[in-house]
Amino acid sequence: MDHLEILEGEAIHILREVAGQFRNPALMFSGGKDSTVLIHLMVKAFYPSPPPFPVLHIDTGHNFPEALTFRDDLARQYGLKLIVKEVEHTISKRGLQDATGKFPSRNALQSHTLMDAIKELGLDACIGGGRRDEEKARAKERNFSVRDASGAWKPYNQRPELWDIYNGRIQQGGNVRVFPISNWSELDVWRYIQREKIGLPSLYFSHERECIRHNGRLVAVSEYILIDGSDVLETKNVRYRTVGDMTCTAAVESNAFTVEEVIAEIENTNISERGQTRMDDQLSEAAMEDRKLKGYF
Amino acid sequence: MDILRFITAGNVDDGKSTLIGRLLYDTGNIKTDVLQTITGEDTINLAHITDGLRAERQQGITIDVAYKYFTTADRKFIISDAPGHFQYTKNLVTGASGADVMILLVDAVTGITAQTKRHALVASFLRKKQIVVAINKIDAVGYSQAIYTSVCDTFSNIAAHLSLPGITYIPISALLGDNVINLSTNTPWYRGASLLQYLELCPPDQPINNIFRFIVQYVTKGNGIQYCAGKVVAGFVCAGDTVVIYPDGCTAVVRMIMNGFQDTDIAHAGQSVCLYIECTQAISRGSTISESNIIPQVNNTMDVNVCWLDEEPLVPGKEYYLQMNSCNTICCINEIISKTSVDTLENLPGGVTLEMNEFARIKIKTKDSLAFDSFQHIPPTGRGIIIDMETYYTSGAFVIL
Repeated sequence: MDHLEILEGEAIHILREVAGQFRNPALMFSGGKDSTVLIHLMVKAFYPSPPPFPVLHIDTGHNFPEALTFRDDLARQYGLKLIVKEVEHTISKRGLQDATGKFPSRNALQSHTLMDAIKELGLDACIGGGRRDEEKARAKERNFSVRDASGAWKPYNQRPELWDIYNGRIQQGGNVRVFPISNWSELDVWRYIQREKIGLPSLYFSHERECIRHNGRLVAVSEYILIDGSDVLETKNVRYRTVGDMTCTAAVESNAFTVEEVIAEIENTNISERGQTRMDDQLSEAAMEDRKLKGYF
Repeated sequence: MDILRFITAGNVDDGKSTLIGRLLYDTGNIKTDVLQTITGEDTINLAHITDGLRAERQQGITIDVAYKYFTTADRKFIISDAPGHFQYTKNLVTGASGADVMILLVDAVTGITAQTKRHALVASFLRKKQIVVAINKIDAVGYSQAIYTSVCDTFSNIAAHLSLPGITYIPISALLGDNVINLSTNTPWYRGASLLQYLELCPPDQPINNIFRFIVQYVTKGNGIQYCAGKVVAGFVCAGDTVVIYPDGCTAVVRMIMNGFQDTDIAHAGQSVCLYIECTQAISRGSTISESNIIPQVNNTMDVNVCWLDEEPLVPGKEYYLQMNSCNTICCINEIISKTSVDTLENLPGGVTLEMNEFARIKIKTKDSLAFDSFQHIPPTGRGIIIDMETYYTSGAFVIL
């Protein structure tokens, strides 16, 4: 077996453990490449039976329109049950302070919507596309990450996880975050997309876009960010390396129109995936750890 | 490209994180923006690359396993960077369980310590087949062959005592790079491979290929066929084979094998597939499907080696959950037969309890009969975990004798 077959087998094994161990799991979908790969793996893991889990999208309201169109097409194509929960709704219901500033990212607010959704839908497992090589706090995650009713990650007393035996038992109100593609790198994901011919939102390939430059990063002009007189609007050929909230995801200049060309660019880049594109990770040296402690993936 | 998983274990300050930093850096696997975060005024602090948690960075220690990744031309490497402190041995066991190779770091200045022996004990408990003793800071002892040889001799005695096979000794300097990527001219007396050369050539753990075992994870039904989604953990199975479903022992026929969206004639160890099975009895999650020649044991008692992972000590007679792969039951520990001292590695009487990070041989009685093999014989069907019924914590890991 080559490395992609091994990684695929590991992910399918984990997804089947989720189906066997939990009453009410959901697969978290963001519109990005990692969760798109997860959906493909789920369909493959249970074929010829239909996929047993619904797909949950926490909608920040700051999405790329291309990601939303892609999401709806994908759900139709695979016959997925799609559940959408809106951060906007959580903000008004809970009377939360909306994000402010030049780039008002709802990334941290998402955790509230997620926790409300887990409670409302009675979810006992949430499957996510987090990968350990993305970020240093994620590098410490188990494949089955047990969370209590508050959703908080307890990195200093994680459950031992031996071999490929997964203990998904949880207390009332708790849930498990499951990471089937923990061991995949960015290139593994792209090579798998290439091998399995998995479709992606058009954002992932070179296109023209009007951007501003902020701290060296290219941010798309949209109604969600504040453009002022000091900003210089430029039209560039770009693609996205990660897809999150429009307010905190930056584009990279690119002329890669195909999966093969994207792979070639990634092989030659000297900057990490999140380092190049995620403004939310740059807030402090422990930004991801802090979000995870509050229930984030 | 294949995958090799290895773990690094060592004392605090043995240079474990520096070694991982060195491997990642010298193979060009640290991106410039990440490099910036570990670069001080004029030097790169390679050790900081693996400290993922705020408390780890503040205290300068490793608390839990961090997973790091790098690739060379033909291989993807998965590193478990495990903690060295005794109190975090349970996390070391987590990281070591899935590793093909275990690298034990020994500081050339201080030599073999009590902690080295404990790490060797973990390797022995998990029956690791490929162990590297990396004698680090060889630069700090003037690249002395005598010191290298003395560490090798001391460790060989420990290895013999624990019956550890396949030990490779490599003198290195993680800080300066000697024998990490390339062979160093500072150690002309060393005739072996560099650490990376070793890691690029050694084989990943091979599954048992001549005895068939399949673990059922998830079953659905249709048209008189049971679709058993699961994993071939040993051997292979062909469409048309007659197999036996355990623990019931009923015979069945494999009508078809699906690997993803495609049907296939044969499935090998390591593959997650779906078997279409015709069987008069219902097959359920946790069943083991076996060939009919060499069959598993079916019993409700087993003698095992255990490592205790829970702050709550093991209580003989108390009920626990027991999980082997996808199979669950209730068990109790009838007897602690003997313990292994984590300081001297000597066998001790079993006593009445087992504390966290202790190793023992115990007798387990399960509520239901289970199908299993000895860990030495077929590892995937010879291991399991013990779970606390109140906290649901994974309290113990065991391998069947």
